[in-house]
Amino acid sequence: MNRRHRQTLVVSLAALIMFVGTRVETNAQTRVSVGVTETIETHNPYGDSVSLLYGIWSEVTGPFCTYSYGKGDFEGRLAERWKVENPTTWIFSLSKNYKFNDGSPVTAEDVVHSIMTRVIKDPQSKQKASVAPSIVNAEAVDKFTVRVITDKPTAPLLSFLCDRLIVTSKAAFDKYGRAAADKEHMMGGGPYRLKELIPGQRLVIAKRPDHPAAKKNPRAPDEVVYRVMRETEQRVTALLNDEVQIAQFIPPHLRQRVEKSRNLKITPVDSVEIMFLAMQPKPPFDKKEVRQAVCHAINRDQIIATLLEGFASRLDGPLGPGQYGYDANLKPKLNYDPERAKKLLAQAGFPGGVDVELQTPVGRYTLDKQLTEAMIPMLNAAGFRARLLTPEWATLWASVQKGTIPFYYMGRGSVQDPSAALHQYFHTGETPRIGYSNPKLDELLDKEQQEFDPKKRRQYLSQAMSILTDDAPACFMWRHKLLWGLNNRVEYQPLPDARIYAIDMKVRR
Amino acid sequence: MQSLTLESATERNAGRLARLVPRLHVKAFTGGTIVAIFVLVGILGPLLAPHDPNKQQLTAMMKPPQGVGAVHALGTDNLGRDILSRVIHGSRVSLLVAFAVVFVSGFIGITLGAVSGYFGGKVDFTIQKLVEVVWAFPPLLLGITIMAFLGQGLFNLILALVSQRWIPYCRVVRGQTLSLRERDFILAARCLGAGKRQIIWRHIIPNLIQTSLVIGTFAMASSIIAEASLSFLGVGVPPEIPTWGTMLADARIYISTAWWLPLFPGLCIFVTVLGINLLGDALRDLLDPRLKRTASGI
Amino acid sequence: MSAYLIRRLAGTVPVLLLISLLVFLLIHAAPGDPTLLLLGEETNAAEVARAKERWGLDRPLYVQYLKFLAAAAAGDFGKSFKYAEPVIGVIKTRLPATIELAIFSIIIATLLAIPLGVWAGSRPNSWIDNLGTTCGLFGISMPSFWLAIMLILLLAGALNILPTSGRSTYGVAGPERTGFYLFDSLMQKNWPAVWDMLTHVFMPALALGVNMLGILMRVTRSAVLEVMNEEYVVTARAKGLAEKNVVWRHVASNALIPVITVVGLELGTLLSGSIIVETVFAWPGSGSLLITALNARDYPLVTGVVMTYTMAFVAINLIIDGLYAIVDPRIRY
Repeated sequence: MNRRHRQTLVVSLAALIMFVGTRVETNAQTRVSVGVTETIETHNPYGDSVSLLYGIWSEVTGPFCTYSYGKGDFEGRLAERWKVENPTTWIFSLSKNYKFNDGSPVTAEDVVHSIMTRVIKDPQSKQKASVAPSIVNAEAVDKFTVRVITDKPTAPLLSFLCDRLIVTSKAAFDKYGRAAADKEHMMGGGPYRLKELIPGQRLVIAKRPDHPAAKKNPRAPDEVVYRVMRETEQRVTALLNDEVQIAQFIPPHLRQRVEKSRNLKITPVDSVEIMFLAMQPKPPFDKKEVRQAVCHAINRDQIIATLLEGFASRLDGPLGPGQYGYDANLKPKLNYDPERAKKLLAQAGFPGGVDVELQTPVGRYTLDKQLTEAMIPMLNAAGFRARLLTPEWATLWASVQKGTIPFYYMGRGSVQDPSAALHQYFHTGETPRIGYSNPKLDELLDKEQQEFDPKKRRQYLSQAMSILTDDAPACFMWRHKLLWGLNNRVEYQPLPDARIYAIDMKVRR
Repeated sequence: MQSLTLESATERNAGRLARLVPRLHVKAFTGGTIVAIFVLVGILGPLLAPHDPNKQQLTAMMKPPQGVGAVHALGTDNLGRDILSRVIHGSRVSLLVAFAVVFVSGFIGITLGAVSGYFGGKVDFTIQKLVEVVWAFPPLLLGITIMAFLGQGLFNLILALVSQRWIPYCRVVRGQTLSLRERDFILAARCLGAGKRQIIWRHIIPNLIQTSLVIGTFAMASSIIAEASLSFLGVGVPPEIPTWGTMLADARIYISTAWWLPLFPGLCIFVTVLGINLLGDALRDLLDPRLKRTASGI
Repeated sequence: MSAYLIRRLAGTVPVLLLISLLVFLLIHAAPGDPTLLLLGEETNAAEVARAKERWGLDRPLYVQYLKFLAAAAAGDFGKSFKYAEPVIGVIKTRLPATIELAIFSIIIATLLAIPLGVWAGSRPNSWIDNLGTTCGLFGISMPSFWLAIMLILLLAGALNILPTSGRSTYGVAGPERTGFYLFDSLMQKNWPAVWDMLTHVFMPALALGVNMLGILMRVTRSAVLEVMNEEYVVTARAKGLAEKNVVWRHVASNALIPVITVVGLELGTLLSGSIIVETVFAWPGSGSLLITALNARDYPLVTGVVMTYTMAFVAINLIIDGLYAIVDPRIRY
């Protein structure tokens, strides 16, 4: 098609779009569309448990508190301040400025209702373990003060509550019942309210201009449309067409297509999702040498430089910079060393090599299949006889949780604070995902969880991670740099945990 | 001309072949050649391929096609594997899957369809119930559950595909048999004392071959594609087995940046489907007693 | 005929029973566990046990099946694990989108395929025949996910004339009544919404229909070829009827049997086979619902969707057999 034809087409198309769009444009609202890979599917804010969901609902109901990556610490929102009364008792003071969309203030009663009735007791809740794992009781001290009691000292309590606890109205629940309260009378104390939800297609939220957070940032978009776009080419195309102004997860090789356009830019963000190879201590991985050999065999730097085009940072332990408890001087480091890997394998009694089957999800994480495919020849060069299997996600994930997969590539997201992730994968008896058991590590992890002095807690964490790296029940690979495609009309700094906060966007009018 | 209707198709074939050979047109030749080449490539694969199809070279990834005689004639993929070698090895697996699926499901489908249509009554009823039950199952769901249950592998893949692909044969063949069994030449055969088995095998099935060939040629294409769809959904063959389908599914994120990744497996599927169909057409013309007369201008 | 109909309807009961058993066994046999898939990353054994009890998964399989059957007999497919809503309600909100998409695919496919097929079949080996054949083959040799992405890159990307995904633009359509967007918008005389709907449906319908187009064209062609040489056609020609009349009056109508069969078969495939196209285009229909349900091992929802498809199937088969009898009076039941 030559240029002139193209122009005619564009002009006639613009006319068409204006014709179609007239009704919408009249109220001169700002709207930002976001291309995402999944949205929420249910009206019940407690009915699902995925990372993106907590972000979206937090905007509707107002985050209880939030993790500030700038400060490297938690920050108050609805809960303005908190203090630890004793190791199992926390006091949260609420802001008096948060109001539901019917004008009534958000009170301690609502918080208690949300924690106790909606998250913990409601049989439809899928969030108990993610939001309130150790909470046994929450009670209102006065109208704006909540006391939370845990069954054991839980130092990382905020990492469960912040950005996750969704606070909804007790009054609406009592008046309309659960289903109607969620679907027709959603009361939120957040800067946005839910306007439309078509599961599988899109989700729309609209700003409440009178909200304190909205007043602080008047340039936040009036409406945000989250559109499901699963294929990468689709998100890039929509970005180029200005159908969406923000697109999630652009794979590195498509970056140039986006950057060619003058209106678009790519913003890379260090993800807090840690990617690792897990090895269950069953033959042949019952021998530490074999596990270490795996870690030494894989040339992480080369994979990052080639397949990921540099958009990942190597992990030399469970954590990287910016994550709570990261220790730059962590020892040992299991570097790429195929010769050493071969020796270790021989020491372990496999001088002639050993068969291993690595399992990976497909399309779940950035280039997961491609990256693991690249690991196979590396493992083989170190003396393994490796095979790759790519089972369907539901099969893989359920089997991992049941502990029936000996060797797999996996990611653990939302690791601002590593406590939950480390407990989940490496503490004896917590989950069978790896089935690893080490009394020394258990002791450190228990101490860490009960230690409220940050300095000491970091020390315990550091010691624990040092043991982990050396004993290698998992090889820590990298953290991806997630690429976000952004239209220049929107100023936004994407977050490391893939959550999207519309209230932090600024739209250029 | 009347005598023609009394004859069944097979009886004429020997004589017809001789008359048709000179005209066994370009179609058969082209189709046959294409299929023969791919089958040959499939069989000889390991000898022909210039490289190990799974040999990676991360330092030489995404090389565009370099032309005949170069190290990587068709370029390399996202892991630096030689695309030509992968396409060659892929033909082996893809064709094996396609042929296996078509023959097994064709055999099951045609037999059941002819039996169902000819006997009618309770037999028909039972078979049609079976057809409804199996066919009503969303195909991809059946594929995913079978593959998830049995695990990844070539044999399981074929099993998953056959489990539903016999249905089209059965349905169409039954429809035609219903119509055929009332026709004069069947009635005549019956009057002459032919048994049921004889009528089905000698008179009905030969007359169903044309339609079945058409379905078969499509089924061949669709099983190559179904394999791709299953790998798109994440339940294909294990990654160490290169197939056109998985190559295509894996290459979909590179369409706009590295066209050679999807082009060659895609082209192979298309050309193979074309060849199989041309051959199918030619075969049908050969077996059809009446087409020749039209062609020679009655 | 009516006795036949009653017999057929009675015959659907065992089919439905068999399907329900089959889907129940298959989905439970497939590895994966709804509690582990739905409860989130941090879930623990206590929570899993609680969910198992609530969803009745702690009972023996046959008890679960019998309970399901008893409820299903009363028209209740249970509650979805994921959505925590009655399965029937969830499916009802998704089904119109799928039906709408299927109708458009059929329209696109038949409008192109039948004339092309008849034309090609009546002139075997002509250039139109060869061209049609090649196009048809192109259609069937492309996986739908592939075609979908190519269409997006071409029509939404390079030409920029269609939206990349979804079923409508936010804020254009009026309130939903029937769930069929085109129908709703037409009733409300909301022309922008009608146009919006058409621009959204075109790519998924084409991606879904191209395969059917290819098959249909080939089958039509081959059926026409066969009929062309029947005596009555030869006689009609001999009578001196114009070739056009011969083709359309005598040939086309008699070539319909295999064509109807294929349309019927494909209709079912369209309803259930839209999984991939719906997923790629974020089309909120029952196909994408099925994949969501399957990925969560939402047993009641998967069973519900499959049972819905089965009922649609049974109905389609009944209609097709009825059509056979109308088209070819020689067939008796």
